[in-house]
Amino acid sequence: MSGSLDPLLQREVVVCVGAGGVGKTTIAAAVALHAAMEGKRAIVLTIDPARRLATALGLSALDNQATRVPLSEGARGELWAMMLDLERSWDEFVGRTVAPERREAILRNRFYKTLSSSLAGSQEYIATQKLHEIHASGRYDLVVLDTPPTQNALDFLDAPRRILDFLGNDTLRSLLGPALRAGRLGFKLFQMGSNALLKGLSRLTGVETLEELARFLAEIQPTYDEFKERAARVHALLASDRAAFLLVTTARGGPVEEAIYFHRLLVEAGMPLAAVVANRVHPDHLGGLPLPSPEALADELLREGVVDQGQPPLSRRLHQTLVEARALARLDAANLERLEASTHPSPQVRVPRFSGDVYDLPALRTIADHLFARS
Amino acid sequence: MSLLDRRLHVNIGKGGVGKTTVTAALALLLAQRGKRVLVAEVRAQNVPAILGARGRGREIAQVAENLWAIALEPKASMREYALMRLHSKVLYRSIFENRLVASFLGFIPSLPELVMLGKVLHEVREGNWDAVVLDAPATGHGLTFLGVSRAVGQTIPAGPLRSETEWMQGLLEDPQATAIHLVAIPEELAVTETTELARAVRERLALPLGMLFLNRHVPERFSDAELEALSRGFAAPQLEAAADAARAHEDRARRSTRYEKQLRGLGLPLTTLPLLYPERAVGRREIETLAARIEAMA
Repeated sequence: MSGSLDPLLQREVVVCVGAGGVGKTTIAAAVALHAAMEGKRAIVLTIDPARRLATALGLSALDNQATRVPLSEGARGELWAMMLDLERSWDEFVGRTVAPERREAILRNRFYKTLSSSLAGSQEYIATQKLHEIHASGRYDLVVLDTPPTQNALDFLDAPRRILDFLGNDTLRSLLGPALRAGRLGFKLFQMGSNALLKGLSRLTGVETLEELARFLAEIQPTYDEFKERAARVHALLASDRAAFLLVTTARGGPVEEAIYFHRLLVEAGMPLAAVVANRVHPDHLGGLPLPSPEALADELLREGVVDQGQPPLSRRLHQTLVEARALARLDAANLERLEASTHPSPQVRVPRFSGDVYDLPALRTIADHLFARS
Repeated sequence: MSLLDRRLHVNIGKGGVGKTTVTAALALLLAQRGKRVLVAEVRAQNVPAILGARGRGREIAQVAENLWAIALEPKASMREYALMRLHSKVLYRSIFENRLVASFLGFIPSLPELVMLGKVLHEVREGNWDAVVLDAPATGHGLTFLGVSRAVGQTIPAGPLRSETEWMQGLLEDPQATAIHLVAIPEELAVTETTELARAVRERLALPLGMLFLNRHVPERFSDAELEALSRGFAAPQLEAAADAARAHEDRARRSTRYEKQLRGLGLPLTTLPLLYPERAVGRREIETLAARIEAMA
């Protein structure tokens, strides 16, 4: 089951997607590390890594700065890492795309704060913009993106489009037309008088909220085409054969269900899915061997000269441990069977659960060995 | 008064720590104690299936004795809220059947979260239940969710929405009514996040913390001397497999001990919930085991 990710090294962009808590960051870092060992200039973009993993990669702050990770002697390429500050990325994005005279008003608007921090999908929009920017710089052969944890698997694919739909909504333009024309000049929404829709809405939200939104849309309008064009460029890149998606999951029931659902969305959206990676799979220590009885284990301990003592005796505790480990392995295997059947024919890669947390380069190498064929 | 007597229980934790399993166990325990319980999940519905029942999504449905379930959806919650405010189905339809309005409402800061949290708190306030158990979204989204009435109250201009936030905030902050429980597992990232969560709930949101559940806890089973004796490599494959399994077990167990100690430093009543080894998926039997465990520790 290993070695199926080798074609990834021919791609320019790899996006790791999946539910929260499945180890996306670790897999993303392992892919970038392997590419670097194979001679590529690789960079991993991450959102919120575990502290020790961040330390291993030499990252100390969310600062949008690319940091070079020192590698061992044998490395032929370069490994870089960057922690994304999404709010700052939005500010930079506005700085690049919005004319200076409108910039301040936008940055101050309450709806901009929503857009840049909490609006579902805005993180995904800006993270993929950043990915595109770094890819376009030409400084790296491979850019690996560890996506932000989404509340809803749909967000990653859907939200950028939803934001654009909203900002460019024709009905909205005509509805708020007077506001858009009036710009910032003392517009009062209730002057629209007879519009029942707006009146009804204002009973829910209050008039001032609607006014502030109208102002925001008026400010952002001239930039809309730029927003849209950039989103289209990112989409074209991600849907092309220069990119690949890795769908990461664990073998637990919940994440597997989410992965199956997300797989369908990726396929429907025409995204190039390279593989489904099942991470932290409980190994079946016995392989195909039958479960030994406590007595058989006691005999073997005796033969090996290991003292079989304790309460309960060591042989019984070993037996119990094997029973439990087998239960965990079987449960994982059943979930993965369902995963494989439901995501056919996408290649499947399995990474076993390792003792200890994976937080240093040698441990990442071990993971990479399960993802790629060793050269 | 015991923590279990609060009227609103909220479980929050990092993604992947088994928050929903713990929610099911806590809700089942309260129902077993004879309380009328509503369990609410956000944009999802998994508790009924775990208990071997079927939910009915955004409609409240009974899933066990004394236990009902609902899936919170922004649209359904918004509709309820709007009907309450507009007092007219005709007016509601003329507004909400407009495609633009749907996207517009998604853009009002945090409105989806506000109406969903409002629905939960409304159920608590109306007194239809002895206890409501909310399975909050994972960490970051969960904090946004629980902080939404406070944030909206502080930022949105005066109006109907802001006055909604005032009673909501009052109920959430009431230590007689509400308990925010944290769910963690013995892994570094989850433990770090739990520590940060506890601080954020206490200081940033000023909400009353309840219990801390350390899920997937594994008890220590092998001594150092035994691990040493098992480490030299055996020719017999089954014994070698047993030694492997023992090392993996003990690695998990010692992290359980270490992180339990670290989390006790937060000063919250801590309940360890054992790692389970179900034959198939986690189901009613496992949930009952966990419920009994919470009962014993509470």
